[in-house]
Amino acid sequence: MSIPSSKAVASGRPGDPRPSLLGLVRAGLDDLLTRRRLIGFLVGADLKRTHADTIIGQLWWVVDPLLQMVVYAVLVGVVFQRSTPDFPLFLFAAILPWKWFSTTLSDATISVTNRSSLIRQVPFPKLVLPAAATLAGTVSFAIGLVALGAVYLFYLHRLSPWLLTLPLVALVQLVFTFSLAVLFAALNAFYRDVQNVLRHALRLWFYVSPTLYSLEQLEDHGEIGRVLALNPMAPILTSYRSIIWGHEGAATRAPEWLGLGAVVVLSLVLLAVALAVFKRVEPGFARIL
Amino acid sequence: MDDPGARPAIDVQDLGVRYNLRLTRRTTLKGSLAGLVRSRDQGAATHFWAVRHLTFRVAHGESLAVIGPNGAGKSTLLLALAGILQPSEGRVVLDGRVSTLLTLGAGFEQELSGRDNIDLAAAFLGLDHRQMAELTPRIIEFAEIGPFIDAPVKTYSSGMKARLGFAIATAITPDILLLDEVIGTGDQVFRARSQARIRELVAQARAIVLVTHDMSFVTEFCNRAILLEKGTIIHEGEPAETVELYRERVRQHKLLAESEAQRFATMPGQG
Repeated sequence: MSIPSSKAVASGRPGDPRPSLLGLVRAGLDDLLTRRRLIGFLVGADLKRTHADTIIGQLWWVVDPLLQMVVYAVLVGVVFQRSTPDFPLFLFAAILPWKWFSTTLSDATISVTNRSSLIRQVPFPKLVLPAAATLAGTVSFAIGLVALGAVYLFYLHRLSPWLLTLPLVALVQLVFTFSLAVLFAALNAFYRDVQNVLRHALRLWFYVSPTLYSLEQLEDHGEIGRVLALNPMAPILTSYRSIIWGHEGAATRAPEWLGLGAVVVLSLVLLAVALAVFKRVEPGFARIL
Repeated sequence: MDDPGARPAIDVQDLGVRYNLRLTRRTTLKGSLAGLVRSRDQGAATHFWAVRHLTFRVAHGESLAVIGPNGAGKSTLLLALAGILQPSEGRVVLDGRVSTLLTLGAGFEQELSGRDNIDLAAAFLGLDHRQMAELTPRIIEFAEIGPFIDAPVKTYSSGMKARLGFAIATAITPDILLLDEVIGTGDQVFRARSQARIRELVAQARAIVLVTHDMSFVTEFCNRAILLEKGTIIHEGEPAETVELYRERVRQHKLLAESEAQRFATMPGQG
């Protein structure tokens, strides 16, 4: 509702020079840094809103991933008769971060379109919307770690000091998720197809990621394991599983440093592109929403 | 304008806002691609100028009414002044802090309490902690929400939402206030209070641009008026004469429509 500066000029002369890629990225980062407070309030609003009408309320943050684990444990362990030692923990190590990834991405994709009435009412940097969605997802992931602690109670022999590297793996995932979140939020404002395609794409992505299985288990399947390893989520999920559950065959419990490094490089490039695209199309949001 | 040394609160020069018809509202990729193919042979009709070639100024302390029929571009003009829509051509220069009161309550989070919504709105406004602590009690008092301030907004009546929205938007004493059809909301008592608040803002040498269909409000509170039709300024001047001109044009339109209807009704062979 307000423009903080005392003087605001908006012009649309066709002769205006287009801002450079780097300028757009810098403007995007600037938006995020200067409106930290707003992002904080949006995250708070998001967290308060979720599960607002439920009986057990905030407890759902912990119960939800546990139930999901039970479903897959029954499906894979009982129905398909696949035996991996300490299977619930094996599953949970990948399902918890995957849930963070997929819910964040779906929420962030519709974060701009969901606020269309506000966008037509108040001038503000729209980049705070996918940022808030990503952070809200991160908070719920952090709360979900309580559930991980509960599962661990049954598998204390699996505990290793490598678990302390979890924040590092999570940080890699956060940057990767955020870059996609920004990109999809911008595209979805113009084409609602994005949110529809994403729903199915995430489902497929879940099955080709090492969530219900590990890539080691695919080694005798030849080529397919190598192709699936190209998935940026593969090194992330494998690292989680390594530090939480362990490694089949391998002695070390260290995360996949090389794979994570590659994801970091990819994510940073993607993030720059995403920020530039978002800032480029942002002025059009109010016109088309 | 009378004093050439003073900088106007709002300076609009040759403003034009163009909508791309191909991308408005719930486009899908397919529709867009089809449009791309079609535009090869058609070209022109994909853009629509909601307003064009608008030039005017509003001095500090002035209150300008924008009147005109539906679809004249009044709301688009206000959105452009608020910085929500970027001009497609021309420019808008604002001197001072702007507050908009466009659609009341549209930005509220239904699940959150009124108090949380005040916090959220303040964060959108970019207010800091101190300012917020100062304003919140005043907003709650002005909105007359009472104990409901801690209940979710979805339980509010439309009048309560409107009052809260008005209280938030006018709490910060902006230099420039943009209003869109909001005066008629609420009950009699609140209407009187909101009009008093607007009078207060006018008195504090704030500039106001107001879009309304309430002609008595125009003549009573505004010291200038613009008549907008089809995105261009038809007339600019005293509120009374502008309103009179507008009424005259509406009458003519009605007469024309009636005679058309009459001709249509008396045409033989219809039915």
